[in-house]
Amino acid sequence: MTELLTQGASIADLATAFAASPNPYLLLTPDLRIFDVNQAYLDVTRSHRPDLLGRPLFQAFDSGPGQEAPENVRQVRASLEKARDTRQRDHLALVRYSLPRRLDGCREVFEERIWSATHTPLLDAEGEVVLLLQHTMDITDLFPAAPPDEPTTALDAIVGGSVLRRAQSVQEDNRRLEKERNRLVEMFMQAPGFVAILSGPDHCFQMYNAAYGQLIGHRDIAGKPIREALPELAGQGYYEFLDSVFATGEAYEGRESLAQLQRRPGAPLENHYLDFIYQPIRDEAGQVVGIFVQGHDVTENVLAARRQKSMIDELNHRVKNTLATVQSIAIQTARSHRDPSTFAQAFQARILALSHTHDLLTRTHWEGADLRAILEHETEAFGPTRFHLNGPAVALAPATALSLGMIFHELATNASKYGALSTPHGRVLVDWGVADQTAPKLKLSWRELDGPKVTPPDTRGFGSRLIERNIRHDLAGEIDLVYGKDGLIAELMVPLDRTPAL
Amino acid sequence: MNQPLSGRRVLVVEDESLVAMLLETILEDMECVPIGPASNIDDGETLARDTVELDAALLDVNVAGRQVFPVAEALKARGVPFVFSTGYGEGGLPDEWRGSPTIQKPFTEAAVRDALLKAMGVAEV
Repeated sequence: MTELLTQGASIADLATAFAASPNPYLLLTPDLRIFDVNQAYLDVTRSHRPDLLGRPLFQAFDSGPGQEAPENVRQVRASLEKARDTRQRDHLALVRYSLPRRLDGCREVFEERIWSATHTPLLDAEGEVVLLLQHTMDITDLFPAAPPDEPTTALDAIVGGSVLRRAQSVQEDNRRLEKERNRLVEMFMQAPGFVAILSGPDHCFQMYNAAYGQLIGHRDIAGKPIREALPELAGQGYYEFLDSVFATGEAYEGRESLAQLQRRPGAPLENHYLDFIYQPIRDEAGQVVGIFVQGHDVTENVLAARRQKSMIDELNHRVKNTLATVQSIAIQTARSHRDPSTFAQAFQARILALSHTHDLLTRTHWEGADLRAILEHETEAFGPTRFHLNGPAVALAPATALSLGMIFHELATNASKYGALSTPHGRVLVDWGVADQTAPKLKLSWRELDGPKVTPPDTRGFGSRLIERNIRHDLAGEIDLVYGKDGLIAELMVPLDRTPAL
Repeated sequence: MNQPLSGRRVLVVEDESLVAMLLETILEDMECVPIGPASNIDDGETLARDTVELDAALLDVNVAGRQVFPVAEALKARGVPFVFSTGYGEGGLPDEWRGSPTIQKPFTEAAVRDALLKAMGVAEV
């Protein structure tokens, strides 16, 4: 029938032959609904055409309420599904199945019958299953009624000459083997790792499991040679490893091996790291006939290990840089403080200023800090009346926040030693704003009032060098220091949108 | 004390001003003349190419998120010896630069001097 369809026999001829055949035939859609049925089938099942068409098979025939019914249904269903999924004819030599029989026009009883059935898939030109043909025969009458206490050993069966009994026992064995095989296939299909079986020197996909389908983006690769099925692997070494396993019969093992896969048409290549093994499959003569592929996608582990390494490297880098910064502060502070006690005080104050800004940044997971919060931190020790902070909220990047924290510390220290905060009534006004929205710049002025008259220092100490260098070097900004008669005025401008790459 | 590096002009590429200031202090103590410091790769490359008299360079490997190797290339092309400074140590350098004299942060004056001498000695071979 399959052959006839593919050879283009006239549909009308087939329909006539189907309807008139003395053999009982039932046509099912792939989801096991009744598509068509011939008269012989209606006769043998004592049913009516309108009751069957379009219904699910196992609703139309449920084998009745008996204890055996679910097992009977299961066997028929398994055979049909096997025929459909493997595209191969399947025989059910012997199956019990109950049918209703009306006794007196209204009372219905189920009667167990014994059947033999063949299930044949009907394929279209592309090889897809269009319909399933069931050919079934009622063979109940071929069975001699067995006394209930008859021994049923294999020997009895053979000696007893009951071919049908033997057929039944073979059928039973087949069923057990089938069950075993299905369990293995199920394990293969559901295995968490990816598994595929390739055959021949071109490595055609014979079978692959769900995890393999997931890995390659659920492409249709069944039956295709690997170079056609997964063309993006060209140049990545995998074809060559397979060729070599096929040629030499030696297994190949890959560890954290990079495979670049195009999991959707037109999508960019995705990096996957795989642990896998290619094992040769040999025939009875020892000849390599295929390759068993199994493995795991370890991409997550590989990336996690890399992230961890890069975080440790980055942490090490930051710690060493911070130590170098502290070293610099220590050496330079020591040069301007010959007395160990004043050195300790000045050094400690600078380290604490650095630490304060770290605290602020830690609160935002090092995303940034607010300008006012930094100013408040560096000036709160002088009390609320001495400082007047006036300006909008400005979010500062971590590097800018660290630099400005140190700068404000130096300015405040300087003011308390020589400037407005060295007198009882001196004040400091800090005003700021952000100019130029396309390339935002922070403009800030630090004005000391009511302090002693100040003059530019003869030699520039570490504090003022640190301020100027930090603004120009680290922040690419500008600073202007004016020593007015009322006190120091510092005007500074810092670009806010510097990317780290600049 | 004898200062073997007296008068040498040494370029400094380092994005953190405090660390740059430390290097300058160390170089001045060794009677060297610090050039720069450059706080980014572009300025570093310009100074590496255009500074007429240049005897050596101290290059921070990670400069504001970029790697300093373009500056090293420019120096190499002129035959000017250089020393990498890094928080990672020599293991943090890519293969092609491995083996170059390297100082690890935080650094001592002796380490800076020895690395510069080694770099200049290698260059004279």
